[in-house]
Order: sequence, then structure tokens, then C-alpha cells
Amino acid sequence: MTAKTRLRLLLSVPAIVLIFVFMILPITNMIEMSFRTPGTSEPFGPDYTGMHYTRILGDGYYWGVLARSLLTAGLVTVLCLIVSFPIAWHLSRARGLKAVLLYACIVSPLMTGVLVRNFGWMIVTALNGPLNETLMALGIIERPLRLLFTQGLVVLALVHVFVPFMVLPINNALRNIPESLTEASASMGASRMQVFRDIILPLSFPGIQPGMILVYVLAVAAYVTPALLGGQMVSVMPTLIVGELTGTFQWPFGSALAITLSVSTVIVVVTFTMLTSKLMERAKA
Amino acid sequence: MATVEAIKLHKRYHDFVALDDVTLRAESGQLVTLLGPSGCGKSTTLRCLAGFLDPEGGDITLDGESILKLPSNRRGFGVVFQNYALFPHMTVAENIGYGLRLQKCPKPDMARRVGEAVDLVRLNGLEDRLPRQISGGQQQRVALARALVMKPRLLLLDEPLANLDARLRDEVRWLIRDLQQQSGITAFYVTHDQSEAMAMSDMVAVMKAGRVAQFATPREIYQKPVERYVADFTGEANFLACQSVAEQGSGQYRIEAGGTVLTVAGVQGLNGRAELLVRPETLRLAAPDEAADFNGRIVKCAFVGASQLCEIALPDGGTLKLTAAPNTPVHVGDAAAVVMDRAQAWLMPEVAP
Repeated sequence: MTAKTRLRLLLSVPAIVLIFVFMILPITNMIEMSFRTPGTSEPFGPDYTGMHYTRILGDGYYWGVLARSLLTAGLVTVLCLIVSFPIAWHLSRARGLKAVLLYACIVSPLMTGVLVRNFGWMIVTALNGPLNETLMALGIIERPLRLLFTQGLVVLALVHVFVPFMVLPINNALRNIPESLTEASASMGASRMQVFRDIILPLSFPGIQPGMILVYVLAVAAYVTPALLGGQMVSVMPTLIVGELTGTFQWPFGSALAITLSVSTVIVVVTFTMLTSKLMERAKA
Repeated sequence: MATVEAIKLHKRYHDFVALDDVTLRAESGQLVTLLGPSGCGKSTTLRCLAGFLDPEGGDITLDGESILKLPSNRRGFGVVFQNYALFPHMTVAENIGYGLRLQKCPKPDMARRVGEAVDLVRLNGLEDRLPRQISGGQQQRVALARALVMKPRLLLLDEPLANLDARLRDEVRWLIRDLQQQSGITAFYVTHDQSEAMAMSDMVAVMKAGRVAQFATPREIYQKPVERYVADFTGEANFLACQSVAEQGSGQYRIEAGGTVLTVAGVQGLNGRAELLVRPETLRLAAPDEAADFNGRIVKCAFVGASQLCEIALPDGGTLKLTAAPNTPVHVGDAAAVVMDRAQAWLMPEVAP
């Protein structure tokens, strides 16, 4: 073994330890747990069984919650993309102080803790909260709107907090598009819309793809926001899993739900990546 | 096939005056070069013509009609950029066909025209490559084909050869000139390379700090510059400071320069201090019994293969650079007699009024 390979191995030790301790180990543990029999006086029993998965896959209720989780995350991702693109565009064109201020505004949702932020939403959207009162005072609505504990509010709050994860990679991609490309396409007769469709959008894909994956994964796994703002009405996989783990202490079943969600998410992400690989391949400069 | 005029263009960026009263004219089918150092306004002028920039004052006309209000995508001009600006996510054929696709050109027609353009710039076999998979010279030819396939009313080239190595530069330069002349397209060409400008252009505009210092044919720019700046920028030159006295009727001047009294042609209306332009190639060392125009002493001498480069100090402090035949015996410190082709000497002011 040469000194160089020794050094390489040495340098990779922290990463390997980190991944092993905080990823491989817990996931293996979780998979093992998902095959345990349910316990009576303990969180899990002594034997192994596949009954939790048959229960999940055989019950329409769980399919429904899983579908809601995946679709909600999909909706959040798409809305995030729509909201973020114009912001990313402005950010990519900003220089100096303006750029600094814009960056600060964009990451501002991340500067508040998750609980504070969600309690904020609860207060603002409550039946007698400032939003409803203002709308009523302005005569726009007659009765207070029921916003809290709705799917819509969960989606809105998630879009709000995940926008930075979409804006920053797209901004990066947009900054890498030389202005001469848009000028070239304009000189060839392209309207602003055509420049956007043919040049800007495809070339920003190296930012769009990671942004979408990031937001999707974060949205699927979001727990606090659906738990606080969705209430009992909107159950998604994470709230269900936490309920099993800490409410009824069904660790094996909770683990099986968690593994189901993880596997589903991986399938969605891999499918998305494969479907968009051609776009990605082309746009790589 | 259009006559294009830029009339009194003005443009400023904050405090910096980028264009100051720029007036140019390209007759139908002409190639007009904008020549100058960086920051002189040549690219700004081109960007105004293309419609990427709006001048603050002045007008741009095409066949007499103002096009200032037309956005760049409605001008129908072909633009070739210094960095080529090829669309990295499109193949060579898609790049070339992009403008036709926007025009909703029927598929078979489009394929034919793209094929012709590919033939024209000799890129056959590379149609399905992406820009990053071909060389710089090939990318440049794609950019050219992409501009020409649209049959533009005006072709604008912004330092198209700047990123090519010397050998390719020569090849692509002739290709550009050939294609421009074959198709008879009016063109503006921006460069900071005087030999490129000389070789390719019908007309050259030498630019200086946002203004057009001189707008004339390459021959006139080189042989009859209006001021020292233009002479300096267009090639090797000797300048001899002198006092000029106009000769009645002949349009010529009587001067004393480098210890010799001469009668030479020059810029009209000179009076008093002036500069005599003597290109090195109009000078030669005198034969033993020949009458010399200048007598001096050799102070520098270098053998460069095809010739020897010499610098000669004159009694009044001026110097002359000239080329001598490779095997002429010349030594630093020797006295040298120099003969000048007087018809090619040119008197001009140091700075045009």
C-alpha cells in the first residue's frame, strides 16, 4: 500500500464512520424492527414476521395515506418550482448589494425554527386570527374562513419553507447561462417566450432537477407542519408513523410504515431522475 | 442586400461615454470593419446595430428606414459572437436550424437548407454532435452557418476569430470573407487585429474612445491616416515631428524632418506642427553612390530570417525603423544613408482637430 492510498483511506474514514453510524446502522435497525412481531408489554416481540407489510399493502387506508403523502409532496414541489423560478431569475440577474438583500429574503423562512414558524401560521390563520379579521374588516368575506387544519394550508406552509431549496440551485444554473445565448436566439427571431422555452428552461434544468428532488424528499418527510397545521383531518405518512412509534408504541408496525414510505420515495425519485436524464444530459455544459 | 447606416449614435454607461457621435455606412454587400482597442466602442456599436442595446441618441437605418424601434428578434440580422454562443443543448444541425424552426419552415425545406449550410462551412458528418463535442474552429463554423442560413439582411460579427489559434484564424478569416462575398450580404465586423481588418474589409472604421477616428478604405486608412493614432493602430510606422509650410496650389507641404527638407503630401489644412508618417517598407538603405533622404546611425539591428530589422537614429533626435535585405552588412554604430519613397510619405497632425 503506497502512502497515497493510505492517505486516501485515512481521509475517507470520517465520512465512512459518519455514514455507517448515522445511516447504515439506523436503517438496518429499522428494517430489522419492521419484521419483528408486535409486543404485548414491550414495544416489540421476540420473533420475526412479514405481517406488518401484508397489513399495510392489504389495507386501502394505508394506500390512501401513502398516496396523499406522495401527491401532497408532488404538489408542493410543482408549486415551489412555479414560485421559485421567477425569484431565481431575478436573483441570478442581481449584483452587489441587491443580490445580498435578495439572498437574505429568500433564505428568511429558514431562519425561524420549525415550531415557531408553524405556530405563526396557526395564529395567522386561526378563525379569529389577524388574516380573517383583516379580510372581514375590509368586507371581502362575511364569515371567517376555515383555513387552519386544511390540506391547503399544509401545502402553502411547506411551499413557503421549501422555496429556498428550489431557488438556490435554479439560480446557480441560470447564472451559468451566458447572456450571449439569449441574444443569439433573439437575433435568430425568437420572442421572449421562445427564448425562455427553448434556451432558458432547458439550460436551467441542471438546477431544476436537484431542486425538485430536494423539495420532494423534504416535503414527503415533513412531520411538524402537517401535524400542527393539518390537525387530525390531514394525516400523512409521517404523522401516522410518529403516532405508531410514540402513541401506541407499535415500533415494528411504525418501522414498516417508515420503510414503506422510504421505498416509495426512492422509487418516485429514481423514476423522476430516469425520466429526466435525457434533459439533464443535454443541458450539461 | 441592404444599405445600413448608423447616424450620430450616442451611448453612455453612467459616467462613461461609450459612443460619441458614431456615424457609419455600409453599402449593400460591403464588409465594414470596426477596428480599435478594447473599450473604444466597437462592440457597443455592433450591439446597437443588433438591437441588444439601445443608443441614447442617433438613428440606425436599413435602406433608409429607421430600425431603432425594432427589437432584435424582428431585425432579421445574423450575429456571430466572440464566444460563438452556440446552444449547448442542441446538436450542430439543431443549432443551425433553430432560426428556421422559429420561422415555422417546413421540415423538408429546413433539412435541405441546414444541409446546404453544413456543406458551405464544411461540417459534414458532425451534424448530430453537440457543441462541446467539436473543436473551437468547428464551433466557429457552426456559428457562421447558423447566422448565414437565415439569409440575414445584415451580418454582424463580433471578434469571431479572437478565440482561435493563428492557423485556424487565417482559414476561417478567408472563409468568412468568401461566404460574405458569395452571398453578397452586408456585414459589420468587429476586431482589434489590424491585419484582419485590412485583409477583409471594403471599409474600415478606426475607433478611438467612443468616436470614429477615421472611416475609409483599408488603403486610405493605411496610407493616408488622419492622425497619428490611426497610423499607429494600422501597422508599423515611423513618425518624425516637423514644422509644415503649405505650398501654394499643389496641396503639398514643405517640411524639414530628420535633417532633410522635403515636399510631401498630407492631410488638408495643416499649419505648423505636424508628424511625418513613414512606413518602414517605404524605406531602404541607400546604395553606395545614391543620394540619401536621411543620414543617421544604426542603433539597433536584428536578423529575423527573411530580413533584418534596423533602427536608425537621426541627427535631430528622431528614429527610423526599416527593414534591410537579409545579407546586407549592417552593424550597430555604422553610419547609414536611407532612401525614402517620397510619394508614400504622409504628413498628418498628431491629433486630428
